[in-house]
Amino acid sequence: MANPTKQARRPLSSPTTSHQPSLLSSFFSRPTPVYASAALLRLVFFLYGLWQDANSPVKYTDIDYLVFTDAARFVSRGQSPYERETYRYTPILAWLLLPTAFTTGLPFVDAALFSSGKVLFAISDLVAGWLLERVLAKSMERSRARKFAAIWLLNPMVATISTRGSSEGVLGVLVMALLSSVLSKRVTLAGLLLGFSVHFKIYPFIYAPAIIWWMDADRMSSKKNTPPKLQASSIPDKVFAFITPARVQLALTSFITFFGLNFAMYFTYGFPFLQHTYLHHVTRIDHRHNFSPYNTHLYLASSPSTSNSTLSSSLPGSGGGIESLAFLPQLVLACVLIPLGLAKRDLPTAMLAQTFAFVTFNKVCTSQYFLWYMVLLPLYLPHSSFLRNKIHGITALGLWVASQGLWLQQGYELEFLGKSSFLPGLWLASLGFFLVNCWILGTIIGDSCNVKGG
Amino acid sequence: MRERITFIQKLGDSLEPSALTVDSRSGTINGPEIRAVREDRLTLAHPELPHELQTLTAGARDLHIRWVSTDAYGVVSPLLARLPPGFHLFYAPARAGADDLSSNELCLALGDIFGGISCTSLTESFTSLGDDSFQYYQGLDSLSQFIRYAKHRLCSPTDTSCSTRLDALSGAGSLDISWEAARNLLQITALWPYERQQIHATAQPPRRTEVGILSTDKPKTLEAHEIGISGLLTVLGQDSKPSPTMFTFPSRHRDAESAFSAGFLNPTGLHPTLQLRLTSTHPPPFSPSGDNNDDNDYTTAACHPYAYLTLPRGIFADKYQLSDPLFLASKNLSTLRHTTQPVDLEGPEYVLPQWGSAILLQLADPSLVPSLSSGSEWTAEIPLHLRYLAPSAGAGGYSAVSMPYPAVFWACEPGEDERESAAEKFPPMNPFEKTHLGYDELFAAGTVFWHVEPQPAVTASSPSLVNEVRVPVLDLDRAEWVGAGTTAAVVIGFAWVVWRLAGVWKSGGGNVVGETREAKQKKTQ
Repeated sequence: MANPTKQARRPLSSPTTSHQPSLLSSFFSRPTPVYASAALLRLVFFLYGLWQDANSPVKYTDIDYLVFTDAARFVSRGQSPYERETYRYTPILAWLLLPTAFTTGLPFVDAALFSSGKVLFAISDLVAGWLLERVLAKSMERSRARKFAAIWLLNPMVATISTRGSSEGVLGVLVMALLSSVLSKRVTLAGLLLGFSVHFKIYPFIYAPAIIWWMDADRMSSKKNTPPKLQASSIPDKVFAFITPARVQLALTSFITFFGLNFAMYFTYGFPFLQHTYLHHVTRIDHRHNFSPYNTHLYLASSPSTSNSTLSSSLPGSGGGIESLAFLPQLVLACVLIPLGLAKRDLPTAMLAQTFAFVTFNKVCTSQYFLWYMVLLPLYLPHSSFLRNKIHGITALGLWVASQGLWLQQGYELEFLGKSSFLPGLWLASLGFFLVNCWILGTIIGDSCNVKGG
Repeated sequence: MRERITFIQKLGDSLEPSALTVDSRSGTINGPEIRAVREDRLTLAHPELPHELQTLTAGARDLHIRWVSTDAYGVVSPLLARLPPGFHLFYAPARAGADDLSSNELCLALGDIFGGISCTSLTESFTSLGDDSFQYYQGLDSLSQFIRYAKHRLCSPTDTSCSTRLDALSGAGSLDISWEAARNLLQITALWPYERQQIHATAQPPRRTEVGILSTDKPKTLEAHEIGISGLLTVLGQDSKPSPTMFTFPSRHRDAESAFSAGFLNPTGLHPTLQLRLTSTHPPPFSPSGDNNDDNDYTTAACHPYAYLTLPRGIFADKYQLSDPLFLASKNLSTLRHTTQPVDLEGPEYVLPQWGSAILLQLADPSLVPSLSSGSEWTAEIPLHLRYLAPSAGAGGYSAVSMPYPAVFWACEPGEDERESAAEKFPPMNPFEKTHLGYDELFAAGTVFWHVEPQPAVTASSPSLVNEVRVPVLDLDRAEWVGAGTTAAVVIGFAWVVWRLAGVWKSGGGNVVGETREAKQKKTQ
């Protein structure tokens, strides 16, 4: 996993560990303790989950895992995974989980087979962590990189999510592999990963403009010390200068991968594939309370009492209110402004900011979406003002937790006590959480002024 | 056209023939007040139907309308078949497949006849029962619109006895209107609860009217699957005295001799739990003598308690949640035997066209649960989920979903090898038989249902068999600022992020920033 010579090297240059070679620093100086602990953490959670599932009516396993495994069972019988209601993913996920559909008649083996998907998700976590370390190690000591990667690897929340059987960890490893291959300038691999990730979960399409923008001719040229080319002055020249072989290669490979997979799935499973994997997200009227600032307004706008015709009430965003424009700030930030402003300075931070903006400004936002940016967080923290300025950092974390807690409290009153907390409680709480997220996003963006080109 | 009026008393109550006064010339029968269930059944052949009913039935192979009162009422064997209170419709179109045109006409006509029936067409409003038959349900508190409609259409303005009889429907426990194309007959059956009834009837020529004053009986020759009836029969205008009668017949609907109540556990939240409280842990007396001897085909092993729920679309059960044995066992449930398909698990109430869903849940067998077998009362909890309802004004941010009591019964289902003989035991027609109840077709032919009587909860203020659950909704009275406030927050958030981006842009043009610029920035800070 890691270079043995680096393992032995003491992390002298690391500012936080250079003064006291404590147990903690020796823990991070070698990969084995970190990865073994990360694996052990997941193993403990995994085994605890098996115990809880077998003994308690309240299940440890995520409901989504039952959706995936049901879909895998349909696939194993030669049927479509979309036979399972609420399966809204690519068939590849069901294929990956095919072992969970096998039974041998031996209870212990069957339980292990059924849980194999969780093992896959947990391993994805570990690989994502290892890729994090690799990317971080490009600009810092290996042990310091490992320490930041441990924010992901030893994070109990991350370990819980994957061992409960949520597939978000797979996205984590895909996005980290994408970033890692881009940074090592392996364009074809990056295109394959980008196309696959977008096929898998749509949202990684936001990374395409950032990666394309980052991949300019200077950066991609193999010779390190050639003088910069003459600046193109006229607009056609600029356009031509923009179209570089690497960019064309990335665009082609990602497009071919994305559309190739979609065609293959469409030909295998027909319209239900399109309907459930993609179109559902356009037509869904899923405004059960969530963190999105638009949530209360969407509920209001979708109801028959506030819209003019029954037809328009069945399609969100057709009422002509702000909900129909909600995608604008989200996509302008995530796909245009942040890539243009940040990608060339610091691609990992740009991707973090993009994801953060996408999730914060999304029309639906649940806590599993937080995982999408959490995997990128360790790449930003080393040069973050949240770490440099402790008060700033603690304030940000405190506000994030507190505003989320406030929302959760209002949500609890609604969901479990049946109190009508939609207005003003839940609405204001979601706006508060949104503004805190915007402030954090602004700080992340501002911090990229302190980064050397990436 | 034939009419049958039946009073049924409980076992041991019977009436001497001398207590009845029969006048064959005026075609009347009079008698004392007795405690009994009264059932009136009118049978019409197709040509006798009023014009609009002829058009309605023309499009139907089977049409069963069953209205059940929301007020608790007592019944007597064999009139035991129970359904959740409300308006039920079981419909099979004459031509196979969803026939939207005739079902649309049907819905419009039913709206006129019963008032407030809001179905539109088969594909939109109904759920499939398989076999090209469909189900619709809606809560309906009273028959007042039906009574108005029937009086207007059926009674001449001078005929007071006609309107008096129709008015009496306001006290009915249930009303069934059944059309079967194969028999070419429409049957209208009304049932009045077990209470004090005055014996009185008058013939309405040319209609043949038969009056029976009967009571449950237990002759020695009675077989396990049969029930006995004895009493007095009189054909009005024909008989000058009642003739005694006594007969036995196989009955699929039996009395479990226990009761239950249903109520939501507090707080209900968005995931209310319906708790069923059953008064007896003992299975019904499956054999007449009380012991399960050899000639009794129904062993307790094949008999299980069930709850059949009709869930209006504001509330639903998640079949995936109801599939885990441990979870089910913790609620004293056994399996989800049936659910209508599909049930949307996410959509808000106001975008769903279907009436709702029906589920059949097998409850835990109390004799197999150690903690239950000792006590006399036991409970089962049914986890349900609320949909979002439309925002409302003037109610402080709350709406309500009304949920009828389920039908609760023990069903004794014949085993695979005994199905044929069991089915033969129950010829389709007995004088009081009820089929097409929604749940009976989910069991093998020959299944016997032992009905548990629904009772209002002890704490309930009304005799109603409908539970209301309060649903939090968005309060339109407070929603004035939602649009502007949301827009303002998004604009502020967006502007802040763009301003920070502009700062980055200014500091380095967003382009490649080399070591030198980095160093310069460090200096300026």
